[in-house]
Amino acid sequence: MSLREQLAQFDASRNRTPEIVAILKRGTETVKASGTAGLQIGERAPDFALPNQRGETVRLSDRLSKGPVVLSFYRGVW
Amino acid sequence: MIRSLGADLVGISPELPDNTLTMAEKHAIPIDILSDATSEVLKTYRLWFTVPAEVKALYLEKFGLNLEKYNGAGRWELPVPATYVLDKSGIVRAGQADPDYTVRMEPAEVVAAIREIAGG
Repeated sequence: MSLREQLAQFDASRNRTPEIVAILKRGTETVKASGTAGLQIGERAPDFALPNQRGETVRLSDRLSKGPVVLSFYRGVW
Repeated sequence: MIRSLGADLVGISPELPDNTLTMAEKHAIPIDILSDATSEVLKTYRLWFTVPAEVKALYLEKFGLNLEKYNGAGRWELPVPATYVLDKSGIVRAGQADPDYTVRMEPAEVVAAIREIAGG
């Protein structure tokens, strides 16, 4: 099963009320209208340095010097 | 899979470092989970947003979810979930960002993009 199918199945299993679904949908539309399209294909990813879970600084350019990098932006552990 | 193809995988969230450690432990993730505690990188990548008031109320009242517990005081802010495959020059070769958090890039597409970079 693709990730898309798994997520759809999980989302359906939560049995949310139409009211909650409507609030989340409006929220998504608001965010879409607020300039959050992210990077475009072909664009250079801006460099950064951020701490990892052990407090060590990770710099994107250091990682790129070793090979391709997949960046995954996620909302949180919750 | 991603690492066996010679690529690195890095996670980024607005959560405080304590919670990125929790994330790494919870899912036994052997990768770097980075904390963007000022949202500076999220903003640079044009993924940052403030949670709309109506959604904030829903999270607090119906889901029992207080983002400040994870992100720090006053930080009702999140990234649009996004995945980017970068080649060695840092150029985005494939990716996806969708404000609908139930839509994510297919892992198979990530792997295909890395293979293409390796082959080209």
